[in-house]
Amino acid sequence: MPTRNESESQPQSSSRALPVLQNVPRRAVVKGAFATLGAAAFVAAVSPLRQVASNSSPAEFMQQHYKELSPEDKADVIARLEQEAKEKYGAEVTIGDDRPIPGTKFVYAINLSVCNGNGKCVEACHKENNHDRATNQSYIRVIEMPKGTMDMEQGSTTYSGVVPKKDKFYLPVQCQQCDNPPCVNVCPVQATWKEEDGIVVVDYNWCIGCRYCEAACPYHARRFNWKQPEVPADEVNPDQSYLSNRIRPVGVVEKCTYCLHRTRRGRLPACLEACPTGARVFGNILDENSNIRWILENKRVYILKEELGTKPAFFYYFD
Amino acid sequence: MRFTSFVLIGIACIVGAVLFRDQTQATSTLEPHTERELAESISSDYQGPAVGANPAREPPVHAVIVHKPAGPPTVRLASVDPQQRLAEVACSTCHSVRPPNLENRLSTALDEFHQGLEFSHGELACYACHNPSNADTLRLADGSAVEYAEVLTLCTQCHSKQAESFAHGAHGGMNGFWDLSRGPQSKNNCIDCHDPHAPTYPQMTVTFKPKDRFNSAEDSHAHQK
Amino acid sequence: MSSSAHSSSTSPTRSSALLSYPGFLAKALWLATEGSLLFYAWMTLLTALMLVGANAWANQAAGGMINTNMTDHVSWGLYIANFTFCVGLAAGGVMMVIPAYLYDDEEMHQVVIIGEAVAIAAIVMCTLSVVVDLGRPDRFWHLIPGIGKFNWPMSMLTWDVIVLNGYLVINLHIVGYLLYMRYLGRKPNPVWYLPFVFLSIFWAISIHTVTAFLYCGLGGRPFWNTALLAPRFLASAFVSGPAFILLVMRVLRITTGYTAPPGPARTLIQIIRIAMVVNLVMLASEIFTLFYTGGAHASSAQYLFFGAHGRYGLVPWIWTAIGLNLAGTFLFFLPAAMERSTTRIVACLFCIVGIWIEKGMGLIIPGFIPSTLHEVVEYSPSLVEWKVTVGIWALGLIVLTLILKLITEVLAGRVTTSPTAEG
Repeated sequence: MPTRNESESQPQSSSRALPVLQNVPRRAVVKGAFATLGAAAFVAAVSPLRQVASNSSPAEFMQQHYKELSPEDKADVIARLEQEAKEKYGAEVTIGDDRPIPGTKFVYAINLSVCNGNGKCVEACHKENNHDRATNQSYIRVIEMPKGTMDMEQGSTTYSGVVPKKDKFYLPVQCQQCDNPPCVNVCPVQATWKEEDGIVVVDYNWCIGCRYCEAACPYHARRFNWKQPEVPADEVNPDQSYLSNRIRPVGVVEKCTYCLHRTRRGRLPACLEACPTGARVFGNILDENSNIRWILENKRVYILKEELGTKPAFFYYFD
Repeated sequence: MRFTSFVLIGIACIVGAVLFRDQTQATSTLEPHTERELAESISSDYQGPAVGANPAREPPVHAVIVHKPAGPPTVRLASVDPQQRLAEVACSTCHSVRPPNLENRLSTALDEFHQGLEFSHGELACYACHNPSNADTLRLADGSAVEYAEVLTLCTQCHSKQAESFAHGAHGGMNGFWDLSRGPQSKNNCIDCHDPHAPTYPQMTVTFKPKDRFNSAEDSHAHQK
Repeated sequence: MSSSAHSSSTSPTRSSALLSYPGFLAKALWLATEGSLLFYAWMTLLTALMLVGANAWANQAAGGMINTNMTDHVSWGLYIANFTFCVGLAAGGVMMVIPAYLYDDEEMHQVVIIGEAVAIAAIVMCTLSVVVDLGRPDRFWHLIPGIGKFNWPMSMLTWDVIVLNGYLVINLHIVGYLLYMRYLGRKPNPVWYLPFVFLSIFWAISIHTVTAFLYCGLGGRPFWNTALLAPRFLASAFVSGPAFILLVMRVLRITTGYTAPPGPARTLIQIIRIAMVVNLVMLASEIFTLFYTGGAHASSAQYLFFGAHGRYGLVPWIWTAIGLNLAGTFLFFLPAAMERSTTRIVACLFCIVGIWIEKGMGLIIPGFIPSTLHEVVEYSPSLVEWKVTVGIWALGLIVLTLILKLITEVLAGRVTTSPTAEG
């Protein structure tokens, strides 16, 4: 009488047996089943990643570094970005590729005797650079300082109400476009670099979002997109540039670009035009007749955190 | 075996250091000691094409436009004429038929017109700036008349420091272009920001603040001094 | 174990060694899923935790890092804190390699492979901790030299990528080679592993030095910008690594019955004693330098130890860490610690937790508080961050368990190519 074991262990005739199931121990089947279950559980666990994939596109994934793009590549990229802006934000935008004007190096100065901390520059930056509306994001932070000290430990950014307050002066801080920028040194993928006119720029489509530059910056100049920026279609500033104020994707770092979409076309930055007290001065330091040159030659100018050796292109002075 | 391994590793380190030392050294330049040196040192750090070498760099063709008041102010009357028109009165309408009080410094003395005028501009008398012989003009310190549109020259008599800063774009702000070869620049007149009778720049209210997570004003009121 | 791997059967030819590698892997995979009920329970728990972590990370990747509690003020948090600690764990394995290979400690030779296994698992945790912290992990390829843009040698992160991956490869090679040779029943050829072992000594020190350089090179963060940071990292790594290895060895003894000779553990404890004292001395030096001089340089330390501007979030953490470190040091110096005892285990746990806090929450977070503009914005990790970190630890422990299982099975001779050996 054939035993159960015998019939199991002896192979059936080859025409009827499934080869893969010959002599497979039960243990293996059980292990296989659990492995499949585990794999399925893993796929289910990471299923939100599908949304990440749908947010991106193969063209965006494969896009090379800005400096490696040919003019045709750039045109394709910009066309794609304009299309995405239309889809995501409902706004018709024009993204330029503004290159530095030869013979320029931009320098900024603020007159601390005149700044009264009203924050219109902060708001203008917010609007000009298509920042997230919910957080009132801006590249500029204004510190209310007690008169007689430059120690920011005694300052505060959460002031409000009527300004200027008695015995206080106001210190707006934004990216200093340093000549020795620590942020450029630390980026592992060279997503940020200093251009010939002094502006330190970020390729938002190359940045991997490690935030090392944000840790390295001594001036709190960098911002990270913790979420997708939300800007209503009618508030989108449509005059955009690839390296500056196009609406940035989630997960990348950004910073003040001295409004290069304006300044590289000869215009003044948005913060300067918005300043009601006229505390801000901007220009090309290489032009002997420029306003900024006169300030550096005639006013007693200071820079922040000079001891760090960052060599900012941003100066502060008192009348 | 052990010794050889160490020696090989050590040689590798030295070779690597020699190869890459240039890329890790920070630039060292002498620090500037005067403002002029500072401006020049920043310019010399510039790595781009030479200034003036680019033929596209044109001489400025656009102007710096300074706003000017259209003319002397007028007094708007509270009542209307029988045709329901608002009436405006020129300064000389009244002031050509009244004797000027040259010593008056107080706005409280004005009890017929110009009531509620706030005046706090130092120890100036009204007629230090206003022209008693032609109420539709102002006058400089030497007595010569100056049009209202040229009120700048009046301010610069005393505030030459601010005037110099203004001329160099360091006072008063501007709109438009920094690069005058591409577009004009417009600047405010003194009186656009400073009311000549009470020139102290008015206080403002902060309307726009960042809304950071974990950094609201309530969070930090404990540390306000 | 490398010197005691004698072949008991005829040696196969070189060509069949390559052919039998898939067989080795297949048997290894099989072994990975064989064990007692406790083993299955342990692995199931870890898998469940790992899946929770994976899901949390997927949600973070989909919804953006707004799901974490990091902000532009405190832009690195739990993930980088955990990364820093895990690099220390990985470097700690070197404290077994040095006695075994530089001082020819015969008994240590038998257990050094455990240290290398811990190093592998720790490096896996490090890499994962960084990947989950990236805003755009899909752009990982931008780091690959040649295809992407690799900012070496200027960016310390690129150095970290090189040394961490290199250390992983070195340890995988050493462990893999030794196990595979044992599996084949052959004596390992020193040429194939000894140079890597010596390289791993320097490399282990370099991984933690480079990680310290990540932080201490930043002039804008005075709390980190101290020459003492790299030595402190190394000192605390040489405590947490060996302490973790001691715990692993205890677990191995309890679960598999594998009992190591008492000598290696005593050596490790002596190393821990010295390293812990050095760590505490350096901490005292930091505290003195910061608080005696005072000024803005001390504002982060002020916040950390005593609170600042009405904010006290990290004060309980750091004092707990200091208490645990001191208590652990004291326990390690007791004679009971040199014997197999509860004192030893408790001391290990105290030191590991104390150093995790001190290096993680007590170092990374205060570097950002006050911010560079002297704003005090606090940080405590969100649920998503905790889930992902627990998931990373679960995955690391899975890797560690599997490698240890393989080690114990292969080195006990229960897994070989020899057909006669299979039971």
